[in-house]
Amino acid sequence: MLSIKNLHASVEGKEILKGIDLEVQTGEVHAIMGPNGSGKSTLAHILAGRDGYQVSAGEVRYLDQDLLGLSVEGRAQAGLFLAMQYPVELPGVNNMTFLRESLNAIRRARGEPEIDAVSFIKRVREKARAVQLDEKLLKRSVNSGFSGGEKKRNEILQMALLEPRLAILDETDSGLDIDALRIVADGVNMLRSQERALIVVTHYQRLLEYIEPDRVHVLAGGRIVRSGGKELALELEERGYGWLLEEAAA
Amino acid sequence: MTPQPPSPADYRQAAERYIAQLPQGDGLWLTPARRAALRRFGELGFPDPRQEEWRYSRIQGLLQNRYATSDFESRFSAEQVRQQFLGEPLAGRLVFVDGRYRPELSDSDQNAIQLGSLNLAMALGDKPALELLGSLSGSGEHAFAALNLATMQDGAVIRIPAGIQLERPIELLHLTTQAATGHSLRPRHLVLLEADSRATLIERHLALDESDHFTNLVGEIRLAEGARLDHQRIEQEGPRAYHLSELYLELGPRADYRQVSASLGSGWSRFRVNSRFTAPGAHCELDGLYLAGDGQLVDTHLDVDHAVPGCSSREHFKGLLTGKGRAVFDGRIRVREQAQQTDAHLTNANLMLSRQAEIDTKPQLEILADDVQCSHGTSIGQLDEQALFYLRSRGLNEQQARRLLCIGFASEIVDRFPSQALRKQLDQAIRRQLERSGDG
Repeated sequence: MLSIKNLHASVEGKEILKGIDLEVQTGEVHAIMGPNGSGKSTLAHILAGRDGYQVSAGEVRYLDQDLLGLSVEGRAQAGLFLAMQYPVELPGVNNMTFLRESLNAIRRARGEPEIDAVSFIKRVREKARAVQLDEKLLKRSVNSGFSGGEKKRNEILQMALLEPRLAILDETDSGLDIDALRIVADGVNMLRSQERALIVVTHYQRLLEYIEPDRVHVLAGGRIVRSGGKELALELEERGYGWLLEEAAA
Repeated sequence: MTPQPPSPADYRQAAERYIAQLPQGDGLWLTPARRAALRRFGELGFPDPRQEEWRYSRIQGLLQNRYATSDFESRFSAEQVRQQFLGEPLAGRLVFVDGRYRPELSDSDQNAIQLGSLNLAMALGDKPALELLGSLSGSGEHAFAALNLATMQDGAVIRIPAGIQLERPIELLHLTTQAATGHSLRPRHLVLLEADSRATLIERHLALDESDHFTNLVGEIRLAEGARLDHQRIEQEGPRAYHLSELYLELGPRADYRQVSASLGSGWSRFRVNSRFTAPGAHCELDGLYLAGDGQLVDTHLDVDHAVPGCSSREHFKGLLTGKGRAVFDGRIRVREQAQQTDAHLTNANLMLSRQAEIDTKPQLEILADDVQCSHGTSIGQLDEQALFYLRSRGLNEQQARRLLCIGFASEIVDRFPSQALRKQLDQAIRRQLERSGDG
């Protein structure tokens, strides 16, 4: 589904990614771990199409397309979803309107008819219940004045509604207490399916107690320095990142 | 060669001809007041760009067009007018087409309140009302206000007696037709709320079809002790129209006036509010949205005068500028020496969608009292790149994302219009503006 080959990228002339290789198959859940500043979020942003990064080498194939050649919305319409570390507040933009317009944009791209108002409300309520997002927040401005946990749940709600083929969760666990973490993880697990792949970007092993990955990769210094099964995450929990960084440097 | 604009003398002669053909007789047609206003006009001359108030709002185009003071026939169908009606139940409605009152399309049969046209008040000799005319505005601080008083055609006289609380709104619906092209329209409104009364006024200025005219309106609103007026105003007279609206407010003890306005689209428009407190405990709130696109100038002038202690005022205006649109915002709060315990705050936020758009914004606080709470703030910004990315990452294209953010920006003001139908119209106006300019 996703194939990243030798991806190099920089920000303002500083190289952040120094040759990433990653293969993600349909149905798989991958975790990308690593210390702060290792390039995890950069990778997530580049996949979603955020401005400000220069890709100097390598390629990214997604569902047999050149992902980097697609517009931001083109990627979303092709089924890619990024749950953001810092969801943006949109004062004045009604959450319900935002969700409906997003869903319809994606349905139109898939060649499906726009959803009618009644079905939409029913569906969005159902999904909001699943991620335990207070219905009142649907009527408010997108993320405006939401707590950290509410913002993350709103991200998961969008993901559940838009039903992406490939979802990337960028530090979705940051700033969440244990209850919120469990709710978010439950939401993610609901979406696990044979048709869908997930990439979970996280600093801590904690989230992986709830979302069990098929593969774990450690990103450090702009490269994937180690890949393994879920046991790698446990090893990192025990030993930290230091030993891997030393190994990589050696 | 560009023709010379008419001189003040041309306007004076036209105004004199207009006054001369009015029914004379008992003086109830306000002939002396009209003539006094005309003399005032002679003293004032036309506004000059060297005057700070008019620095950014040039009037050459307006003068060049030589709008006529004479009468003309409007052509329209009742059905066209009714299509503009709001669906909600009203306490009454006065319809003006091309500045003239249309009783057959209005609903003014009221028991509890006085609701009728100015011409009717003049014909019936309604002295109490007529004596108040011009009492707030004076004979005019500038040429156009003086011309309005000299040559006013008709208008609304609304009086809400003491203690009457109207649940439903009163509407003043102003429509223009193609026949107005080349003419000036001079409506004048008088709204009086007696002690402890309450009312809602919806004032709309819309175009039935496009015309090139000059609306020169003056409104006077007086609230007696404890009265409350909610005033909603929408102006959208079309890309070739000139629209000048001057509003004078006088708030008595504990009076409460709340206005929300939307200037959506005339070619050139200027809206000025003069608010004056006469006793402590009163509150004045002015909120507004303005849109300016290619070829449009929208000018807002606020002058809130705290001359007595213990009153509060809030002004919050937002502007959305596209293409080569131009806007002027001049918000002045004056707190005089004796006006202690004044609480006054003003903000103006502008969203610029194009590099060619221009805003001249000038909040002014003139504070002479020392025990007050006052603030003002202005912002000028572009759409937030992070917000655009966020929306696009959810599948919306750039145009849809920009539209959603612009509607979001305006919603703070739009949401203050209680009527859903009006809110919908406002959102549509924003959409059209963005589509037309190509900035959205």
